[in-house]
Amino acid sequence: MNSSSSKVKFDIDKSGNYCDGELEFDGRIITVTDGKAKKEFDVNECDELIIRGDIGCGYLEYKPKGTENNDDNLLVCNFTMACINDVGEFSKVVNHYILTGELTEVSTEQNHVCPKCGRHYMHGMDMCIFCADKAHFYKRVLSVAKPYKKSIIIAMIFIVLAEAANAVVPIINGHVLDDYLYSGNKGESVIHGILMLCALMVSAKVLGQIFQVLGRRSVAVYSSGLSHSLRVMVYDKIQRISLKNLSKKTGGDLMGRVTDDTEEVKDFISEEVLYALYQLSLFIVIVAILCSISVPLTLLVLIPIPIGLYIYYMFRVTVHIRYMKQWRCERRGNSVLRDIVEGIRVVKLFGAEQREISKFDAICNQLSKICISNERLWAVTFPYVTFFIGIGEFLVIFFGGRMALDGEITAGQLLQFTLFLAYLYGPIDWFSKLPQKLGRVNTSLLKIFEILDEKEDMVYESNDIVPTMKDKIEFKDVRFGYTAYEPVLKDINLTVNKGEMIGIVGHSGVGKSTLINLIMRLYDVDAGTICIDGQDIRDFSPDNYRQKLAIVFQQTFLFAGTIYDNIAYAKPNATAEEIINAARIANAHSFIMKLPDGYNTLIGENAHNLSGGEKQRISIARAVLRDPEILILDEATSALDTETEYLIQQAMSRLVKGRTTFAIAHRLSTLKDANRLIVIEDGRVVESGSHTELVKQGGIYARLVAAQHQTARLKN
Amino acid sequence: MLKQNDCKFSLNKNGFLQAEINGENVGRVKIVCTQPLTNPYEYISVISMEDVEHGIIKNITDFDDEQRELILNNINSRYFCPVITEIASIKDKMGSFYFDVVIGKTPKNFMVRDLTKNIRQQGKTVTITDMDGNRYKIEDIDKINSKSRKKLEPYLY
Repeated sequence: MNSSSSKVKFDIDKSGNYCDGELEFDGRIITVTDGKAKKEFDVNECDELIIRGDIGCGYLEYKPKGTENNDDNLLVCNFTMACINDVGEFSKVVNHYILTGELTEVSTEQNHVCPKCGRHYMHGMDMCIFCADKAHFYKRVLSVAKPYKKSIIIAMIFIVLAEAANAVVPIINGHVLDDYLYSGNKGESVIHGILMLCALMVSAKVLGQIFQVLGRRSVAVYSSGLSHSLRVMVYDKIQRISLKNLSKKTGGDLMGRVTDDTEEVKDFISEEVLYALYQLSLFIVIVAILCSISVPLTLLVLIPIPIGLYIYYMFRVTVHIRYMKQWRCERRGNSVLRDIVEGIRVVKLFGAEQREISKFDAICNQLSKICISNERLWAVTFPYVTFFIGIGEFLVIFFGGRMALDGEITAGQLLQFTLFLAYLYGPIDWFSKLPQKLGRVNTSLLKIFEILDEKEDMVYESNDIVPTMKDKIEFKDVRFGYTAYEPVLKDINLTVNKGEMIGIVGHSGVGKSTLINLIMRLYDVDAGTICIDGQDIRDFSPDNYRQKLAIVFQQTFLFAGTIYDNIAYAKPNATAEEIINAARIANAHSFIMKLPDGYNTLIGENAHNLSGGEKQRISIARAVLRDPEILILDEATSALDTETEYLIQQAMSRLVKGRTTFAIAHRLSTLKDANRLIVIEDGRVVESGSHTELVKQGGIYARLVAAQHQTARLKN
Repeated sequence: MLKQNDCKFSLNKNGFLQAEINGENVGRVKIVCTQPLTNPYEYISVISMEDVEHGIIKNITDFDDEQRELILNNINSRYFCPVITEIASIKDKMGSFYFDVVIGKTPKNFMVRDLTKNIRQQGKTVTITDMDGNRYKIEDIDKINSKSRKKLEPYLY
């Protein structure tokens, strides 16, 4: 998937029409061709390339060296949103070259279009649903089912036996008719014979049920095992994928892959694969029995089936689309209704009752029209479709009846034929639904294997070196962006000495949290390096590296479990003494002891039973227990009342002592203990120094301090 | 509100739109529609490249032909929305809808999710937004061929 090149495509020409354009960078010149014209831009004369996004399109600008505003910029090319990632990557490469003189390659890993068919990948996927080799995925998923081979074979045998036992019934019916009812014989022996056949029929039915139960039991055994194996496989891989790749997918999407998609695949293997073999063999056996009774009658039944199946399939597709529309309309109606009910005070206040009634009436009216149209389609078309598929039955009655009257077949054989015919429609109905089921399972398989095949792009060094910081952390020309076209951090150069506390200041969205994400190595830098004592942090395995880190977030996350478990999360083998000490340092011990179950208090989902300050103190205790060399505080004391803040500040002061600390805070007073403050603006470090120095400079920091003083005065 | 006398548009030497507002050259500007779907040519905002609003134009018809053309060209290049002339197929793949369409004479495919949000009908005009944020338009649903209309109709709502 992740190919590289120095060329990218763009797709709008100067006149605003689609084109097949290409941007190329050879290390000196950017060449732009749109099929008609060719332009060249000298990178040595360029300050930077700027990407601008519009609505459904964007454009790339060339900023010449020595220009201050945007007025002298030149237009490089226009493109639709389909090309924005590629053009973004291209501009990143050129800008990196301008800054460092180093020529890197354009990565196309953010491209979500299938190189084969040009279609967009499905949401959250990096594979094409149309072009992926599905047979390969089936083989792989069946290999997961290998350990359960024995149970699958047993289940299959029992299910075939169950149906075979049921299939005996029509044969017995035929014998009752031919050997006894129409034989012309009377008396005790006939009654006795019929009773024997009845007993045989009951036995066959009972046996059929027993086989069915045994078969289902085997299915239950292997399907639960299969479900477990699949879930663990996917979950295990998710834990190992880098945050950069994980963040392309939502939490719900990932959960869906572990639960819903694995369930879909499990259901398909445990039910459909099993039944596919059964239905196929049943179909062949029934056709063979029907042929043994009468080949011409069998052909009469079989000929209309493929056409009927196709009509049936198309009918179902149409009905599905129409009912989806009905569902959307119903959902819209419900949404309007909910708005009106929940916002009834606003509606009344603005005297909008009549307007809302009309709005709801219009939706109900439209829903009614859609319902009528759908029901009409169903009522008119469905009987014809089923009639066409089952037309063979009527033909059998007519032609079979004539054959029986002519003595070509017996009445018993005709009865057997019609009864077996009913068995034939089971497999036909099953196969008509197969494309839909295959469609569903294909999507789930693709989603599962996309995760399982995800490249672990973060370099995991195999060495066992645990970094020990002796001197400093250095950021050298660090650049990073979550997407190619929006760099978040640009040319960060910073040296932090051991034991120093650095306050990171700036407006929202300037890249403060991104900087700490890089320190935690949740993401790798796009360019430049982050070094500990001269050693690139990418040289350490993330596990070893993160042993030396701890973080306290604004939004503390506590897991469902006890308070003890949550503190011990930082060091699973910690002794009770260590945990209690950590809680004491974090000012958490006293409130924990007031709880009836102390450290055994269960924390519910989202820790609703604890206040914000209490959760924060548990989180600090966790960080204390970790005994980190590098500590990160991300808005750790915001949104707390004054008394709680004091307790937490006190805990924090103990925590940061002797540790290299990076602290982000909007409330600047909380950074009073920082040795140095850095101000980030537009992804760059623009100011650095102590509080006094920065206030004297009269820059961004000074303005932020003044604004906070003003707000504080207004509040008072 | 900005009137024709208050502002004058022109193209700078590199072809970008620039403006003179109340006699002062404010440099490059962009035109932003306040109601791009329902009323694209009324109440349009003149904004600097640094996202500072200079003012709002009530209606582009208040401007002479030359000025109107400059404004319209900027709107059309900033709101790229090609017109669909034919719909070849729409395939539903588990809630992702794959459209195969023709724009002018060029075949084009795109994918749409969340139909309620991304297929919007304003009178006879249908605007479709794809997965990447590209927009496509059917200017008059009654004027595209009946096969295309029948294919799209179940997805309109």
